[in-house]
Amino acid sequence: MATVQTDQVTLTVNGQSVTVPKGTLILDAAKKVGIDIPIFCSHPKMAPVAVCRMCLVEVEKMPKLQPACAVYVAEGMVVKTTTEQVNKYQKGVLEFLLINHPLDCPICDKGGECPLQDQTYQYGPGASRYQFDKAHFDKSVPLSDKIVLDRERCILCWRCTRFSEEISGERELALIQRGVHTIIGTFNDEPAQSAYQGNWTEICPVGALTSRQYRFISRPWDLDRTPSVCPGCSMGCNIQIDARNNKIGRFQSRENVAVDDSWLCDFGRYSFPNFQRQSQERPRIRRGGRLEDVSYDEAIAFTVDGLKRAGGQAAGWASPADTNEELLLFRRLFRDVLRSPHLDHRSATVVDAEPGDMTLSIADIERLEHVVLLGGQEVIDAAPVLHLRLFKSQRKGVTVLKVGAGQVAEAVAGVSPDCTAVGILATEANKAAAVDLQTKLQRKIKGSVRRLIVTTGPNGRGAKDLGILPHLGPGYVALNGQAGTGRTEWPGAGLRALYVHESSPLHGFTPTDAESMWLPTVPLLVFHRFKPSPLDEMAHVILPGHAFTEKDGTVTNMEGRVQRIRKGIDAAWVREDWLVFQEIANQLGASWSYESVGQITSDLVRGLPPYMAVNQEARVLWSERP
Amino acid sequence: MGIKPLLTKDFATENLKQLAVYEKTGGYTGFKKALEMQPDALVDLVKASGLRGRGGAGFPTGNKWSFLPKGMYPRYLVCNADESEPGCFKDRYLMENSPHQVLEGILIASYAIGCNLAFIYIRGEYLPQTEALEAAIDEARQAGYLGKNVLGKGYDLDVILHRGAGAYICGEETAMLTSLEGYRGEPRLKPPFPAVKGLYGKPTVVNNVETVCNLPHIVLNGADWFKAIGTPTGSGTRLWCMSGHVNRPGNYEMENGTPIRELIEEHGGGVWKNRKLKAFQPGGASMMVLLPEHLDVGLDFDAIAKAGSLAGAGAMVVMDETTCMVDAARRYVKFFEHESCGKCTPCREGTYWMANIFDRFEGGEAKVGDIDLLLDIGYNIDGRSFCPLGDASTWFPRSVIKFFRDEFQEHISEKGCPFKKSVQEAVA
Repeated sequence: MATVQTDQVTLTVNGQSVTVPKGTLILDAAKKVGIDIPIFCSHPKMAPVAVCRMCLVEVEKMPKLQPACAVYVAEGMVVKTTTEQVNKYQKGVLEFLLINHPLDCPICDKGGECPLQDQTYQYGPGASRYQFDKAHFDKSVPLSDKIVLDRERCILCWRCTRFSEEISGERELALIQRGVHTIIGTFNDEPAQSAYQGNWTEICPVGALTSRQYRFISRPWDLDRTPSVCPGCSMGCNIQIDARNNKIGRFQSRENVAVDDSWLCDFGRYSFPNFQRQSQERPRIRRGGRLEDVSYDEAIAFTVDGLKRAGGQAAGWASPADTNEELLLFRRLFRDVLRSPHLDHRSATVVDAEPGDMTLSIADIERLEHVVLLGGQEVIDAAPVLHLRLFKSQRKGVTVLKVGAGQVAEAVAGVSPDCTAVGILATEANKAAAVDLQTKLQRKIKGSVRRLIVTTGPNGRGAKDLGILPHLGPGYVALNGQAGTGRTEWPGAGLRALYVHESSPLHGFTPTDAESMWLPTVPLLVFHRFKPSPLDEMAHVILPGHAFTEKDGTVTNMEGRVQRIRKGIDAAWVREDWLVFQEIANQLGASWSYESVGQITSDLVRGLPPYMAVNQEARVLWSERP
Repeated sequence: MGIKPLLTKDFATENLKQLAVYEKTGGYTGFKKALEMQPDALVDLVKASGLRGRGGAGFPTGNKWSFLPKGMYPRYLVCNADESEPGCFKDRYLMENSPHQVLEGILIASYAIGCNLAFIYIRGEYLPQTEALEAAIDEARQAGYLGKNVLGKGYDLDVILHRGAGAYICGEETAMLTSLEGYRGEPRLKPPFPAVKGLYGKPTVVNNVETVCNLPHIVLNGADWFKAIGTPTGSGTRLWCMSGHVNRPGNYEMENGTPIRELIEEHGGGVWKNRKLKAFQPGGASMMVLLPEHLDVGLDFDAIAKAGSLAGAGAMVVMDETTCMVDAARRYVKFFEHESCGKCTPCREGTYWMANIFDRFEGGEAKVGDIDLLLDIGYNIDGRSFCPLGDASTWFPRSVIKFFRDEFQEHISEKGCPFKKSVQEAVA
């Protein structure tokens, strides 16, 4: 009989038998049966270093206590995590960690969500036997304009330095000096430049690295936490909106291995002040050249009146930060109710979007052999967390080729013919070159070639999928002679009304020079937005709307993954944006009767079956062809 | 038993540093003989000789070589010349007197393990020794012992001499490799062991200077000859670096197994100033203290271990009856506190705390519970730290507490150091 080859290992942890794959750490095997081993330096995304020595456990037949974070399981291993020896040692190591720690928990931002504090309560000694002066270091050292370092609180777990080395690859943070004098710092004390510094604060197991924006803002237990999606770009990184007294304190990461791999970029993370509402304002309409406060009903009636007059000559611009639900109603308002084809969500003319733009998923980058970054750094700038995925891929052996947008020939030459899987990443502006490159590579190599186009805004992809385009309907169907004009053509197109809807100042309607000349001549300019902006000066109607962080709905990221955003801040005095759309449509003769965002989502899925993906937070796949 | 000059037998020869003189004493004949052998046969020979590493741990050298994974190249030999254990000065003695003997040993080891690039990591403070080795390497290169096609035998080898920057931790082999690669000198996680993943991620053997110096003699005279010297589990000789309160400090090459008494009383001329022996410490700063009752223990890894200490790197620090053992422990603990790399918590924080407590003893402010506190801190460091530096920082102080607890108590009850007081009184 053939012997069965198995890659599984069975061991016991505190008497409980557990079977795990070979190459599992003791720490993770224990976790599998619900046994928690305390850690500081260990981090699931980084290689074990075993420096903090918190996780030492007893392993039978091994004379010394073993670091559970660095020792791999073996068949028949007997692990004990709660013996007298382990308990005594855990008290000992926590006592060591605390002798030079300032214990200023009452004024520390981390207090209340601090692993050092929590584990001291759970495993530590009740009191310290240390009776000497603590070693003193610099406090509140500005590491950059984003981060402050408290060197006294630092327990030298190496997480931030390892992030800098293994995750972002920037090697900006390093250990300096040695022994008890060891500190964390940058080269020559120069300000840190990384675009991923916020992550340092999240992985810091003490209050050593804190965000300047969140400094002394809140205690963790006072925060209301809402799972949502980052409004920064089309990556769709998962976030948690932490708010106190209905004011955003910070954005925290929320792991989605398929998208963000648990990281955020600083652009997205620190963008939250943009979503902070400054005042409670009411709808306004322009009468006699002056804007005056009115009720929603009055403002809507004014809008309906103007739109009715404009009819098919009304144009609508919806922001790529709007939810799919808003976009669905917005499109139906223009296409079905007003019978106007002039719809857009873009700021410039770009090559048509098509389903083939997202045949490559973000997570699949790791499984490629070769990635071409067409446009180089400009692609990273458009979606910074992509860099972390690319660096991770590189460490796994993927070749990353960065070329300029015009260097298609160089990119083709850089990929060998026996390559099995190639990916192309480019921004919308360079899509034509990306398609050209894909065609050429497909001819050259025997494997697959897929592309991922980085769209604009957290829901630029959704806006395209749903047909917020002058010439394409939902699902990229042609409009058969019904095509309208796009935003760049609007000045001079004889339009009689423009309705601008935006949810985020990061992806708002910023007039071009031509538009600035044209806008004052438009008979009706409706501006539906959440925060005062320069465009207010030209608007005839201002409808306060909800910010990205103030509403429920779904957004679709660059790879077509549909994810839910949720209301993290309550602005109940502002009428829901979709309700305003419904009100306007109904006064223009429609008979919509949505009672909740959820009903719109259901309708969206019914009309556009690939959006079934929303229920799985999966990717919308328009076609199977590569 | 007794003095047995093997590595040091020609040290009286004038200009032994020069290649021609070294060759006249039979130098490089061992290497030439080795080149005629199959590398595997050399490994077997060294295994059969029972040679154990002289760096401190006493691991069998031949076994260490045979751990290299088959077929994985390049592989490196690193000769550990970062002699940094306080009380040890044997490697410098070997390097400054006969650099070619060190080089010949490296050549043999490299050939045996199939290495084409060897490194010597030398302690930064060893400037004359560095110069001696540099000159020797140049001479050897010109004479065809190094370079492409060594001695026309189709074997390539070069040696790179690298000076350390003065960190004790870089004597630990993985920290040394890390430092050699240009990073902070900090120990690495094991496994993977250097034999599998060492310098630049390649299979690496790390051998001490004294270890490689034995190789030419073993190759020339055979395993049986070597095994006949010393004890059954400790073949050969060792250089003992005697220092402290002894009449004739210095390096003594002793046959393994010779009683410690002979080394201290006969060759060292006994305790100085006609004082009595209070304690001695074999091995170096890390190792546990032994007492006069242990004088008949043999100079041998296993015998010293059985007596409760370790032979370590071959130091022999002699302490007379006027020694304050608390102060001796204090000095060593402060050394470890200063040299702790800071990588792991127990060593970084524990040595700092211990040093503070020892200062308190000498300053006359020690409290009743301090002795047990020291023991407890030691318990929480030993076996818990990342590398042996932390463990070793506790061995001497804990052994001193074991044997001289009353001295600690005196420091507490008399609010200060009784030895210093008596010296002060004597002076006054």
